[in-house]
Amino acid sequence: MNDLSPKERLLRVLSNQTVDRAPVICPGGMMNSATVDVIEGLGLSFPKVHPDAEAMTRLSSAVEEKTGFENFGIPYCMTVEAEVLGSEIDFGTPVCEPKIAKERYASAADVEVRDVKQLVREGRVEAIARAGQTIAEKNPDVPVIGSLTGPISTAASIVDPMTFLKELRKDKTNAHRVLDYVTDFLVAYAGVLIESGFPVITIADPTATGEILGPKMFGDYAVPYINRLVDAIHGRGAKAIVHICGRLDSVKKHIPTLHGDAVSTDAMVNLKALKAETGIPVVMGNVSTFALQLQEPETIRKVTEKLVEDGIDIISPACGLSTKTPVGNIAAMTEVVKDR
Amino acid sequence: MTREEELHKGLSEAVVDMDEDLAKELAQAVVDEGFDAYEAIDKGLSAGMEEVGRLYEEEEYFIPELLLCSDAMYAGIEILKPHIKKREDAVRHTVVIGVVEGDTHDIGKNLVKIMLESAGFNVIDLGRDIPAVEFVKAAEEHHAEIIALATLMTTAMPAMREVLEVLEKEAKRGNFKVVVGGGPISPAFAEKIGADVYAVNAAEAARLARELVA
Ligand code: B12
Repeated sequence: MNDLSPKERLLRVLSNQTVDRAPVICPGGMMNSATVDVIEGLGLSFPKVHPDAEAMTRLSSAVEEKTGFENFGIPYCMTVEAEVLGSEIDFGTPVCEPKIAKERYASAADVEVRDVKQLVREGRVEAIARAGQTIAEKNPDVPVIGSLTGPISTAASIVDPMTFLKELRKDKTNAHRVLDYVTDFLVAYAGVLIESGFPVITIADPTATGEILGPKMFGDYAVPYINRLVDAIHGRGAKAIVHICGRLDSVKKHIPTLHGDAVSTDAMVNLKALKAETGIPVVMGNVSTFALQLQEPETIRKVTEKLVEDGIDIISPACGLSTKTPVGNIAAMTEVVKDR
Repeated sequence: MTREEELHKGLSEAVVDMDEDLAKELAQAVVDEGFDAYEAIDKGLSAGMEEVGRLYEEEEYFIPELLLCSDAMYAGIEILKPHIKKREDAVRHTVVIGVVEGDTHDIGKNLVKIMLESAGFNVIDLGRDIPAVEFVKAAEEHHAEIIALATLMTTAMPAMREVLEVLEKEAKRGNFKVVVGGGPISPAFAEKIGADVYAVNAAEAARLARELVA
């Protein structure tokens, strides 16, 4: 049964309404699926694609076509925010994603707050918005997802990460000041994307995992800023997916307090059990990205089938994909979901 | 408990309590009262850091706490270091550590560095996203005995192998022990690329590194 358009299906799931089957998506950003296999033959190349709206339009269309994911996902890395906020970016190579070469500030106290209205005119923000707008206009039935780097990860990409993690305890005033600023910027950036026709925003915040922060810091810092961002996204009429990396054991009690329309997790989390335990209505995940890279399509099919049987609401890769993931494995995953 | 034992205990507790000021104060007391500086690092600060490692494994402490504890340890070491009496048996072994090219995940590497330092190693930290030749160059320059390589990304695993290839090619493999670790690395992979040791976490990395130079 494939009665709904991919966009209707995803939006219905995110509103906790009934659907014919689960959508199978990959939001981009941290969870980028514009792999080496996908870009081949397009006459495009990394890292040249990243700031180029026209190239992104073509690449994201190719991702949708070749992988079978029922969405477009941009950008393809986690450095857009940090670039605008002043960090030095290394745009990577054909096999390596863009990465932070050097954080802008040595400590939270050094961060100078700039006007976020001006910031959203800088860096790659406009190119990303334009790419999404073009794709959305050409493909009204397929959702375009904008992927943001979460507040803590962005903060720890503009302030030296080790120092910033310490300052969460040692200099709470400045830690909050930086997170306020970063969140204001993310709200403005999300606003630009939503205005350009992105109906769904995904927030991934790897540095804010339970394993790194522990339950107290996760509750004090990760939850409130992510929620402020989600509330602002809702205020603009879009949906929000929140991805939490790593094991959830130490932070499980906080998961139901997240305001996102869906919670996405890594492969070690049993999503069916998480739903039962926490009562959160919509979960997304979680085909192991290591399996996607290293196993055979047959194994991927089995793993995906299990998730479908478990009633997982949105099927997706569990976390960040390797750029060397074979496209055949991704296609195997999406076929299983669509054939049900 | 003797006065010296009291100071050791105090130093250890200052580390566990993330109390940088107290660590400095007690380290200064060790110096002023003429006690052995090396003993104070070993039985005080390092012992405290070992306890911190245990609290981290038990999920009592997380990364921010661990980093603050290590700051207290470093503050104490800073004061004690100039007063360490040269001893025949106390040769400082040097480790060159870094995250291999293509990967910028460095939180785990930094923990390994801290545990190596608290175990008495002299650690040269190259940082993250480091080309293979840089490891070899630095190891020679600093007369290191151990090269420690980290990656959390499968796509950077070939870059880890490359370090060993450079060592082989330049006929320098015998000059260094190579320790590897990070999420996707396994004992099998370590063996395949010809590394000497795989360690699953920072505490084990320090323990195994000590065995390597024993
Ligand atoms: C935090 C994080 C980030 C942060 C990193 C911040 C920083 N400064 O380090 C940010 C947000 C920047 C980030 C970025 C990216 N990330 Co990331 N990230 C993580 C995450 C969630 C946690 C890592 C962590 O710090 N853990 C805490 C530390 C303490 O643990 P640890 O590193 O494992 O270290 C322990 C042991 O491994 C060992 N150890 C570590 N190093 C060494 C070294 C030696 C010598 C030894 C002996 C032992 C040892 O001891 C340590 C302590 O005991 C992991 C997922 C995970 N659960 O591991 C993903 C993960 C590593 N990231 C991933 C990805 C894909 C990315 C990106 C490519 C995303 C993108 N699309 O752009 C980028 C990286 C770009 C690049 N090329 O560098 C993937 C990699 C997948 C793969 N196939 O390899 C992972 C595995 C997530 C996943 N499941 O998909 N990420």
